[in-house]
Amino acid sequence: MTDSRTHVETQILSVERPFRFESGDIIPRLDIAYETYGSLNERRDNAVLIEHALSGDAHAAFYHEGDRKPGWWDCMIGPGKAFDTDRWFVICSNVIGGCKGTTGPSSVDPATGKPYGLTFPPMSIRDMVEVQRILLKHLGIDKLKCIAGGSMGGMQALQFFCDYPFQFESFICIASAMKHSAQQIAFNEVGRRAIMADPRWNGGNYYGAAPPEGGLSVARMIGHITYLSEQMMQEKFGRIRKDKESRAVFRPSFEVEHYLDYQGVSFVKRFDANSYLYITNAIDNFDLRSSLSSRGRFRGHGRQRGQHMEDMRSKRGLVISFTSDWLYPSSQSKEIVQFFTALNVQVSYTEVATEHGHDAFLTDYHQPSEIIQGFLSSLSEKSPSPCRTSIGS
Amino acid sequence: MVHKISSQNYPIIQEWIDRGSRVLDLGCGDGSLLEALVNTKQVDGIGVEISHDMILKCIQKGICVYQADIDKDLSEWVDGSFDYVVLNATLQVITRPYKVISEMLRVGRFAVISISNFGYARNRMRVLSQGRVSSRVRLSGCWHDTPVLRFVSIREFISSLEEIGVEIMDARYFFPMNIVSRSRWPLYNLLAREGIFKLRRA
Repeated sequence: MTDSRTHVETQILSVERPFRFESGDIIPRLDIAYETYGSLNERRDNAVLIEHALSGDAHAAFYHEGDRKPGWWDCMIGPGKAFDTDRWFVICSNVIGGCKGTTGPSSVDPATGKPYGLTFPPMSIRDMVEVQRILLKHLGIDKLKCIAGGSMGGMQALQFFCDYPFQFESFICIASAMKHSAQQIAFNEVGRRAIMADPRWNGGNYYGAAPPEGGLSVARMIGHITYLSEQMMQEKFGRIRKDKESRAVFRPSFEVEHYLDYQGVSFVKRFDANSYLYITNAIDNFDLRSSLSSRGRFRGHGRQRGQHMEDMRSKRGLVISFTSDWLYPSSQSKEIVQFFTALNVQVSYTEVATEHGHDAFLTDYHQPSEIIQGFLSSLSEKSPSPCRTSIGS
Repeated sequence: MVHKISSQNYPIIQEWIDRGSRVLDLGCGDGSLLEALVNTKQVDGIGVEISHDMILKCIQKGICVYQADIDKDLSEWVDGSFDYVVLNATLQVITRPYKVISEMLRVGRFAVISISNFGYARNRMRVLSQGRVSSRVRLSGCWHDTPVLRFVSIREFISSLEEIGVEIMDARYFFPMNIVSRSRWPLYNLLAREGIFKLRRA
């Protein structure tokens, strides 16, 4: 086999009607970038929705023509992998507010003919979910086997599952939280401040000019520190210096400085600074519990709480955390388990031992793959119909 | 993990547990007890297990499992979350049994605990004749690597329950030749291999 690589292209769904945000703001039209892997069966009941994290996109798996690197979760999605594309029809789309094909602050506002910039409405995790509902409708899928994601992807999975429990048989939430802690908000805020302190940011109005690369790369550098564990950083870089001869003052000299610099520089090539602001803002404002009980809630199935809870009963959930993840510590995953267990969702929880910190959700695929495969298989065996009746009834 | 004596208790546990109740199984191993309870009693069950391999087996069976250390992590469950909390063939590996028993009766209305009787005649004979706690007595491993930390006789266990204010609602004692009794026979502490107890706060 010379080329076992499977190629894929990002599709764009153009929605030529207004989209209303949770905030009440409206944009006149919307693009949704998405990819699919595997095939939808005749009963249209083998779909799995994958949710990406802060810097992810619709390209979750396989290769784009001419690319050397596959999608961001290729280790988990593909034939025989955790999300086995021989069995499941896997869908992933770029979030609203992003910059990888779905409408966001860098998209052109039809009203002005210019990019939205900061006139783009502030969006929430729930808005991300609503946009994906439009996509699912377009694909003709009502009921999904599973919704899965890590980090911010886990938040979307939880929100989607809670707002529309009748659409899903199960959820998988990896290295995520019910809401951000003060520390998590603080790190995001430092990242946002770095962007906004860059004079090139210019109040978000930099399209057509030089983007605030300095600020965005600092934001990414901070992010990367929080994604790794102290131990892993020490093992990988220690105090090794790259150019011992260099006499220049305050130039990157330690290996770790070069690493962060590289991460920052490569990020600015592929990411929009305003999207970074909007998405981190959505993450910080996410609070699952209060979003489900808030009075102003106008979306989601079952506004009367009782009906809503009944839909969740006996659904299945899987929560995974990583021992060395200090950004999204296991205690936050355990809180998710307790929350859903109290709602009678059948939730399993496992903590994977790893040194790779928060990044483990993207890199440590071996143990999670076994678990996820087992979980998804047990779903199809145990409950042939996507909507099980509740236990004891 | 030590699961040598666990499955003989399944019919008794199934008899004790009400249909459709909520069950927490501490040290659930591969989830086979919960699977049996789901099938026969339609319980809503969660297992607690520390081993990754066992967790994988539970998940493959579709049994709900929570990775945790029983000694540390029961505090996460809210009071009265369960009807029954089961500790089957697991007490012997627990570091702080009193704490765990009291936690079991905090998160659950009833507790089911099975123990292997260290005071059983053959155990006494083995210790006496060999001059050591052999692996038969210990249930598994050598003195330095066995997970078994607690050696308790049925008599001691029962008096401990009284001491901590726990009432025995029902019990079964396993005697040789597959004899199972509900009542404490004379010399039960010498003759019973194992015991299983249904408990609640006195």
